[in-house]
Amino acid sequence: MAFFLAVSLNFFLPRLIPGNPVKVLVSQMATGGVQSDALARIYDNYMREFGLDQPLHIQFLRYFANLFRGDLGTSFMLYPGKVSNLIREALPWTVALQVPTILVGWIIGNVLGAACAYKGGKFDAIAFTSALAVSNIPYYCLAIILLYALAVSNPIFPVGGGYSFGSYPELSLSFLLDALHHYTLPFLSLTVVAIGGQAIGMREMALYELTTDYVHYSKALGLSDKKVIRYVFRNAMLPQITGLAISFGTMMGGALVTETVFSYPGIGSLLFTAIRQTDYPLIQGCTLIITVAVLLANFLVDIAYGFIDPRIRAAQLGER
Amino acid sequence: MKNLLEAQNLKAYYRLVDGIQIRAVDGVTLELRPNEVLGIAGESGCGKSTLAAVISLTHNPPLHVIDGEVTANGFDLLRLPKEQARREIKGKYISVVPQGAMNALNPTQRVRNFAIDMLQEHQPDMTKQDAVDLARARLQELSLPERVLTSYPHELSGGMKQRTVIVLSTLLNPKVLIADEPTSALDVSSQRAVIRLLMTLLDEQIITSIAFITHELPLLRQVADRIAVMYAGKLVEVGTMEEIIFQPQHPYTKALMGSMLVPERHVREQRIEGIPGVPPDLKNPPAGCRFHPRCTQRIEWCTQEEPPPKTVGDRTTWCWLMH
Repeated sequence: MAFFLAVSLNFFLPRLIPGNPVKVLVSQMATGGVQSDALARIYDNYMREFGLDQPLHIQFLRYFANLFRGDLGTSFMLYPGKVSNLIREALPWTVALQVPTILVGWIIGNVLGAACAYKGGKFDAIAFTSALAVSNIPYYCLAIILLYALAVSNPIFPVGGGYSFGSYPELSLSFLLDALHHYTLPFLSLTVVAIGGQAIGMREMALYELTTDYVHYSKALGLSDKKVIRYVFRNAMLPQITGLAISFGTMMGGALVTETVFSYPGIGSLLFTAIRQTDYPLIQGCTLIITVAVLLANFLVDIAYGFIDPRIRAAQLGER
Repeated sequence: MKNLLEAQNLKAYYRLVDGIQIRAVDGVTLELRPNEVLGIAGESGCGKSTLAAVISLTHNPPLHVIDGEVTANGFDLLRLPKEQARREIKGKYISVVPQGAMNALNPTQRVRNFAIDMLQEHQPDMTKQDAVDLARARLQELSLPERVLTSYPHELSGGMKQRTVIVLSTLLNPKVLIADEPTSALDVSSQRAVIRLLMTLLDEQIITSIAFITHELPLLRQVADRIAVMYAGKLVEVGTMEEIIFQPQHPYTKALMGSMLVPERHVREQRIEGIPGVPPDLKNPPAGCRFHPRCTQRIEWCTQEEPPPKTVGDRTTWCWLMH
């Protein structure tokens, strides 16, 4: 249900952007000095080709039908490039950037947050304040600051791109090193923010858990701090898992700004250019991927929760 | 046989911001003897739970012990290194049934696993199977269902949860069990079951003595051997159950008994009186006897000097009228 609603929105929203994409396409050709009646014919041809001459509801039905056949259509701006191919090329870059970022940020953030809550005192004051500061910097600001500090004024890392100009994606050591070199800044800018956010959430949860009766009781019976921390960490983690899943769900679109700042060749950059060119099929393709990712992540969380939290398992089985 | 637990002139205050202190326990001297149930009674806020926290070594800031000592098993508990207290006292010599035991169990852990953790903590060479067997045997001995071992806390009823907590607390046969309002959140039949369980633990010599903290005097009438009555952070009267319930001497104890509902003939026609006034603010307790502002029998002395203890036989009273 959510899926159909989202897919319909994916269809209609781009079409609300003012401007006719085909006109733009054709007018770009006009600079080449083509006759005006020829331009009109090209225009008609494109309109037919993309199905834009049909009324909106026919377009919608066609879009749906094609979707079920796994056909995402043809890009306007990169004609005759297939949307599915474009996405297939961009997807690995986004996944390679986001999955490690999210995992590293999540793990370090949670450990840091739990340590803050447990240790308290100076350690907490310093770590918690830095986490607050870092997580409140908009991540694109941090990206721009990093870009300026480590690429422009001290050119340690490249300014942008996924790999050096002139090289071609292949499985060789030199290419991987090159890609890693380009990878560092976007990775850093996203991870630092993620650590901050996760640490704050975890600290709050762990602080709450530390005041619960079961913690006092376990300590009163002489359980070691190590064991009590294990209980607290595990229980405080539960809501954090939702956070992890949401991060995974939104990772496709979440990096839009970061990818744009670093001209990283992922889904974010692709979507950004598609929107600027009102490339309906490409926008639809990108937003579809995002939709699927969000829904899938939520689904997996619901399943995972059943395994992790016995209270929820009982509720799901109707024992309560 | 020596006393199992002794508190000497114990003072424990809550330290708030701005240097304000709440004198929740202010000079309490009390002993727990072998083979007895010692009831500690008083109104809300009289310091009885604070006392329980200190003698079970479960107190946390902002509660600080200011003065006095607690001795048990030859140890000066308050000066014992934390790690040693954890290994040698907690759960092993002194155990607790906490106030609000409803949430005392980790909600995401089976009871069995907590029993394993707790037993292995104190007996590291015990295998998991041995630990589970021990817990199962104990449940059988106390005629509780074995299924609690494989249950999560939310799968148990309130009364069963409370009894499970008591069984877990006494797995290591502690000498002293400190039970802080163990029945206050339960319905009457679950209360009875809990009391019966505690009595069985004493009869079977699994535990030696209980300090039973409650505001319900009728309950103490059923279970206690001796009763200590607290008021505003201090003891006012300590004596045997019969002495305290049937021949109270201190005006506060009398007033407390007067406000209690007992299903007995002579009480039936009697009007139940509350105690006029409110307990004092423990930030700034009254001088002299702390009960004097509410006392109907006060004499001049009461407002000026604290009454010293007067001991006759098993009973000690802190009241100028006794001198």
